[in-house]
Order: sequence, then C-alpha cells, then structure tokens
Amino acid sequence: MIELLAPAGNLERLKIAFLYGADAVYIGGYEYSLRANAINFSKNELKEAVEFAHNLKKRVYVTVNIVFHNKDLNGLKEYLEDLAAIRVDAVIVSDIAVIKTIKDNHIPLEIHLSTQASTLNYEAALYYKNLGVKRIVLAREASRDDIKDIKDKTGLDLECFIQGAMCTSFSGKCVLSNVATNRDSNRGGCAQICRWVFLINNEKDVFSMTPKDLNMATYLEDMMGIGVNSFKVEGRMRSVYYIATVIYEYRHLFDKIKSNTLRESDILYSNDIINRCANRESTPQFYDKMPTSLEQYYLGREEVSNQDFLGIVQECKDNVILLEERNYFKVGDVVEFFGPNMEAFTYKIEEIKDILGQNIEVARHPRMQVYLPIDRMVPKDTMMRLKVFDKKDYL
Amino acid sequence: MKNNYLLLVDNKNLISKLKEESNITFLFPIKDFTVGFNQAFTLDEIKEENAFIFVNRLLDHEGILAFKSLLKKLPSNIKGIVFDDIGVLEVLKTTPNSLVKILFLNHFNCNFVSINAYLEDCDSALVSTDITKEEVNTILEQASKPLVLYTFGHINIMYSRRKLITNYNEHFQTNAPLVSNLTNDLKQEFKILENKYGTVIYTGKPFNGLYMRGSKNVLYYLINTVFLSDEEVIDIINSSTDLTAKYDYTYLSENETIVRIKER
Repeated sequence: MIELLAPAGNLERLKIAFLYGADAVYIGGYEYSLRANAINFSKNELKEAVEFAHNLKKRVYVTVNIVFHNKDLNGLKEYLEDLAAIRVDAVIVSDIAVIKTIKDNHIPLEIHLSTQASTLNYEAALYYKNLGVKRIVLAREASRDDIKDIKDKTGLDLECFIQGAMCTSFSGKCVLSNVATNRDSNRGGCAQICRWVFLINNEKDVFSMTPKDLNMATYLEDMMGIGVNSFKVEGRMRSVYYIATVIYEYRHLFDKIKSNTLRESDILYSNDIINRCANRESTPQFYDKMPTSLEQYYLGREEVSNQDFLGIVQECKDNVILLEERNYFKVGDVVEFFGPNMEAFTYKIEEIKDILGQNIEVARHPRMQVYLPIDRMVPKDTMMRLKVFDKKDYL
Repeated sequence: MKNNYLLLVDNKNLISKLKEESNITFLFPIKDFTVGFNQAFTLDEIKEENAFIFVNRLLDHEGILAFKSLLKKLPSNIKGIVFDDIGVLEVLKTTPNSLVKILFLNHFNCNFVSINAYLEDCDSALVSTDITKEEVNTILEQASKPLVLYTFGHINIMYSRRKLITNYNEHFQTNAPLVSNLTNDLKQEFKILENKYGTVIYTGKPFNGLYMRGSKNVLYYLINTVFLSDEEVIDIINSSTDLTAKYDYTYLSENETIVRIKER
C-alpha cells in the first residue's frame, strides 16, 4: 500500500485534502493533540470526518500524541473508546500510556507510533511492534539506510514525512518552549523558540538554528522502493490553499511514478510551486546526507509572504464561474486554475462581474463573490492562483 | 540515612576526589554513545567498581549495532546502564545480561502509567524533569519500583542531530567554540554543546532539586556535573541544606506549563 497522507486542522481542510488527492488525513481532537492551538475537531466533527472519508474509501488517523502528565490520563480511556466507536482508522501516539490503555482495555484501535518517539533503529521499532504498534512514523532524522534497515528487519508499516516544517531538535526531545515561555511543546503549545534568533557568546553575528523545510519530491520513487508505505505532509496549522497545492502536486508526482511517466522537469516544477506556496525553501534534509549549513536559515524567519491565492470556485454553470475571492486581482491578470481531478490550466482575466452582474475592473476584497466567464467546466473548490511558473519553461 | 547519588561525570579529576564517598555511584557518558558532554569515556578508562554507563544518543542503524558490540565488551566493573533510546531497551531485554537497567527517556515519563509500563522491562526509570513537584510526588507514590530523580544540574532541553555550531561557523566563516553560550531576545541564557553526533542545548543555570532528597521510593538521586566545577559538586554532595540561596533555579518544578494559548 502506498498512501499520500495529509494534515487537516479542521473539517474544511480535511475535505479539501481528500478532494485534492490525499488517501488519508491525520487530525486532532480537542484533547491530547500536539497542535493544541489549531482549530481541531469536536467529537461530532470527528465523526463527520470519518464518515466523509469512509464514503470516499479513504482513511482518518487521529493524533493522541501529547506526552501525558498524570492529570491528562483522566478521561483518556473514554476518549479512546469514543474514537473506536466512530471507527477512526488509527490513532497516532507517542506516550506508552496510550498504548497501555488501549491494550489493557481491549479497545479496538490500530496504533501508529508518532514521530515524537524519534524512532531511528529497528530494535526500537521491534519494541513497539511487540506492544502492538502497527505502523511507525519515523524520526525526520532517519536516513535512507535507517529506513531500509527498519523495514527489512521489522516488516512494519512505515510512515515518513515528505514535506513541511522541520523541528531543529529530534521531535519530543525539545522543551525550549517550556523553558523560555512556559508553553508546553510536548503537549501542543510549542512556541517555536528554535526559530528565534540568538546571540552566541555575545558575538555580533546572529546565531540561528532554523531549518529549511523538508521536501522529498526527488526521492519519492526511491522511498517507495525501500518500502515506505505512507508519505506524510506536515502542517495541521496550514491553510486550505497550502494543503490543496501541496497535495495536488504530490498526487500528480505519485500518479506519474505509477504510470512510469515521471520526468525531472515534473519534480522541478512541483518544487517551485510548493516552495512558493510555503514561502520557504525546502530540501531533502537527512535522507541522503547529514544536513549542513545549507539546510538552515541564518537570519531567523525568512518567509516572504505572497498573495498568490486569488479565489476558490463556488459554482460553475453555463460557462460562468462563481468565485469567492481571497486576494486582489484585476482584468488583464494571467492566472491559473487547479483543482480536484483536473490538470491545471492558464486563464487570462478578460472580464469580471460583481454579484449584481455589473462589470468591474478589479476584485479588491477577500470573500467578495464575482463571476468570471470560462470555456470549460471546473469543479467546485477549484482554486485560482496567480500564474508564476510555466511548465513549458521546465521542459 | 545517606542519599544514594548517581553522579553523571564528565571529567576524570572529579572521580578521584569523590571515590571514597560510599553513597556515590559514578555514571560515565560513553564515547560515541552520548551527546552533550565535554568529555566522554571509553570502557577502558572506567576503573571504578559498580560503575554505570550512560547512553543518551539516539541511535541510528549503525549506532544500534555498535551498541550491541559494546554490550558484549562490557567489563565486570560495569554494574548498570542509564539510557534514552528504546532500541537499547529492546536489546537489553533480549540479550542475556545482569545490568541494572535505568530508562532515562528524556522529556517523556511524565506520568505513572507510562513509567510503570516501562518498569515491566527495566529496573528503574528517571522521572521527567519537566513536571511539577506535586506531579513527581504522585509518580513516586504510584510507581511499582524505586525511581531515579534528576536532583541537580543543567538540564538538556534540546537535542538536535544537526551540528548547529559547526554549521554556524561554516556559514559565517567564524570560529565559535563547540561549547558556547546563547542569549535570546528575552535575555534568557542557555548553554550549547556540540559533538560529532549532534548538539545539545542546556539550561543556562543548574536546576536545584535538592529539596527532593529524602523522598520515598527513590533508587538514586541523579546529579549531572556538566558545567559544574569540582568544588561545586563536592559542596552539593556534602550539603545538608538545599542550597537555595546559592542555586535558585527551580526549572519547571513550581509552575505547570501552559498547553493552550487560550482555552476554547
């Protein structure tokens, strides 16, 4: 089984992730999840998410991956029983207390070990396998050889991150946030102190340890070859546009690998799209080598925001699109549509009508609804973005 | 009754000064298996009887094989092991040995259910440093075996596999030492130490948990001597008071950490 696994911070993002090609999503409930400040899912929303996914024959994994303090144990058993009752496909855990609670109470839940457990070797994987863990989300620090060794010697399902932000530290091995701000990094409150700047020995140069993002597009095929089962995108706090863009690009790369039509130009193009959307550079990090200074930033945050996401299609009927705006655009702009089960295409804006049918030159306001003429059908939830990269330039 | 100290040492001189103390067990960071120490030891360099070895590196596919080789070569004066990697626990569980096995799963083991689960496979575990006094006490009450408490010393608060100082030096063409000090915008200070296996950031001040001495259900009180002078360590070992005037840093033991910025 090969799986493209997407993050989803709420129900809207979950639906977008599936529409744009994810095979599975991972989400958090209000409790016990490491993204405590994401919107997350109520019990009813969790149920709706699972029903939505299962209707599409897709999967939902729920993170129960905090490091538990004594008082966090209250209600854990009942919460896990609720998750089993709504038939989530697995829980992602880092604390052995959760595994113990599931096993001791015979709760029918598949267990995936979180990357928080920093698994790098097959003996650690075997320990958890013997406890009943079915899948391990490996440490982002795992190299190709580490991954292959674990697969060969355990046969476990392996899940690896392929895209998104990196911790500077081994996940789970950092409490800088706790110390600097009293916000608990291992219970969902990380303040990302590793993205701050520091003085070193009171020298004038700024010390920074911020890693660039992870991007494994170049190695997807190789990862499939060594037995990785699930390819995970980081980012439960990310926007619908980010999720749509990244999942759309990786879905296309996966499909091209499957049909044996992947070219280097496809990877280069996808990488440029993804990096611009993430506003950060990205690299393979630990897979092929030990990261050097080139895999880090040295001036703290270097994200350059853009307003590429222009709108989302609400409806397409009689050669007219109803679009909900996200960012400013105007007549004459060259844009691009990309969406569920469709190839991206270029579009020059010749005409914009407001909701009353009056011609306008500029769409200025986020959430404003406008009509655009179109020569083809595009599905609901298709996104319109500024055209920055042209695939022809990569051939 | 005297407290049993487990003294994590990173210089040889200190050992000779304290070896006559009957209540001290020396814990040696092992070369190629540790991060965050000024000095690590080969097995040949450990001459003390009933010594413990310390393995806190997270081990990759080569590291775990190297650990298996190390285990086969352990001399008879090595009585126990303190370790972080769960792979080490699996190896120790499945390989015949008589070592006292203490799990130091840094930043985990914050509750009694987890600790008791691991205690099924090892002899003791280190209680997390990241919880309050009250939480520690509850764990001690509920634990199925005596535990180890981190009682004094700078605390390892971040462990990266990256060589952060080397990378910094490379980028700026500079020469910062591999043991350095960091200061952030809030004027908080940290210590940073790199070796070939990664980088550790420590608290700028040593945590003083001497108040925990005399607790029930404790196997050892761990003192980490990294960045402490020999005189400071001797003072701490010999003190009958908690030395709070001299060492006032209580780390996270007083106030519970915040989980959410705003509750829903």
